[in-house]
Amino acid sequence: MAYASVISSSAVIRGNVRGDGSLQILGRIEGDVGVTGDLALGPDAVVVGAISGARIVIAGSVEGDVTGSEAVVISETGKVVGDLSAPRIGMSEGALVRGGMRTDGVASGNSARRAPAARGVEAEEERSRPVARPAPRPPANAAPAASAAGSSSAAAKRPPPPPVIQAPRAGARARKRLHKR
Amino acid sequence: MAGSVVGAGLIVEGEFTSDEEVVVDGTLRGTLTSADVVTISGDGVVEADLRAPSVVVAGQLTGNVNASSRVDIQAGGRLIGDVKAGRLTIADGASFRGNVDMDV
Repeated sequence: MAYASVISSSAVIRGNVRGDGSLQILGRIEGDVGVTGDLALGPDAVVVGAISGARIVIAGSVEGDVTGSEAVVISETGKVVGDLSAPRIGMSEGALVRGGMRTDGVASGNSARRAPAARGVEAEEERSRPVARPAPRPPANAAPAASAAGSSSAAAKRPPPPPVIQAPRAGARARKRLHKR
Repeated sequence: MAGSVVGAGLIVEGEFTSDEEVVVDGTLRGTLTSADVVTISGDGVVEADLRAPSVVVAGQLTGNVNASSRVDIQAGGRLIGDVKAGRLTIADGASFRGNVDMDV
């Protein structure tokens, strides 16, 4: 395949593996693995230690935390005992996982170049969500109120939300009663 | 099956064992044991004791080598350490410092 480095199926490494480029593991590694490129674990691969990479595809087994700066994908033969963290996590049916999962990993967004900006927007959205929610509602309710109440549209803009929400109900009821009569 | 490749930029630290061929383009520190050919290519750096039937050194190797069959130090290759091997070739342009034991 197009992997810069390959650890063959008969290979056993007791120690750490790190560096640049992509790595395909078909054998066994007892130690931490950290690469800047993509990381793939074949069906018979075993890693006892933490692994990290850009896009990590796991068809083998991992005992340790998995951190993907782009994505973590666990194939149907994959098995992970440890925490998973990546902006995107994919799991096939049959995959086994015991551990925590976080999809808000180190870098978010589609490319590392835009990651800091995307992270900022996300954080801002989350922060402002509780505050922002009530704000759009009154105008949404104020519009029907304005059409129902007619002349009171200018007054409906200013007062706090609760009276505005009640206003259309009262108006609607009143109109219904009027129509019934 | 193709063997292992420690690609450029990759650093392996520890004990590496394999039944298949091993090619080192990156860096390997510790010990390396293989049941097949070990090749240290031009940009490869190995600081390890090495045991394999056959070893080809085109890059840098620092450590003792035990090869049941042969050791070839190619032009541009650099080996610092003791060599125990059935056959040893040192190409013109290669560097070598260490003792040789050829079962004489």
